[in-house]
Amino acid sequence: MDEAEDRLKALFALDEPPARDVVFSAEVMARVLRREFRIEVATVGAASLVGAAALWAVWPVLQPALVAISHGLAPTIAGLALAACLIAVLQSRPLTAES
Amino acid sequence: MNAAGLDEALVAAAQAGSTDAFSRLVERHQQAVRSFLRRTCGDWAAADDLAQETFLAAWSRIRRLEQGASVRAWLCGIGYNKHLTAVRSASRARTRDAAWEAGRPVIGVGRSDDRLTLERVMGELPAEQRACVALCLAADFSHAEAADALGLPLGTVKSHVSRGRTRLLQALGGSDG
Repeated sequence: MDEAEDRLKALFALDEPPARDVVFSAEVMARVLRREFRIEVATVGAASLVGAAALWAVWPVLQPALVAISHGLAPTIAGLALAACLIAVLQSRPLTAES
Repeated sequence: MNAAGLDEALVAAAQAGSTDAFSRLVERHQQAVRSFLRRTCGDWAAADDLAQETFLAAWSRIRRLEQGASVRAWLCGIGYNKHLTAVRSASRARTRDAAWEAGRPVIGVGRSDDRLTLERVMGELPAEQRACVALCLAADFSHAEAADALGLPLGTVKSHVSRGRTRLLQALGGSDG
């Protein structure tokens, strides 16, 4: 009985795949990562669609407010842009001098 | 850290979203899952496809795995359900049944008579009985662990294993006393 069972176990053992199979594991993980990527793309796509739809819905209310704000902020934004340009030019001067 | 402890740590990390931890789980359990599916469905290529599907499903459901549960039993359970789903699909089942016999000579090239006999008798066992034999006689699962994996009552598993063992030993020329 024990001998027969041992023989049975030995026969079963002959059909076992290797304990480590890098190819199989890599294939599984490639499929897992592909699925994760697809889910991420679908999530970002869905979020973008929801955002676009929300913007489209509130645009009639948002547009006049943006126009009003932009008129008031235009001088400030122009000033900030000029300051940013000046800073960029001043920071690049030593480099220009060295070269 | 023992094997169960390492599994628990890897499951916890995978549940937190670590694909590296899941990759380690795949490495650790691919042999058990593939062996079980090879013995259960008979067709090695189909078994490996099912094993890949099993791990994909496991990744999706990893958060449902309770702490301390046997990972290999859980994976074999998913694999068994995948196998049953495939077999229940009528056309695929017919193809698989035909492939079982048609595939034998190719798979059996260079094999001993005993191995061919074992494969033939395993193929003749009912699916549930074959799964119980594959887990308890070939993979050293306890009856309780196999019952948990296959979703069967403990008594049914014991009975399947006993009948399966008798059939296999008789076919291999031994007596089951």
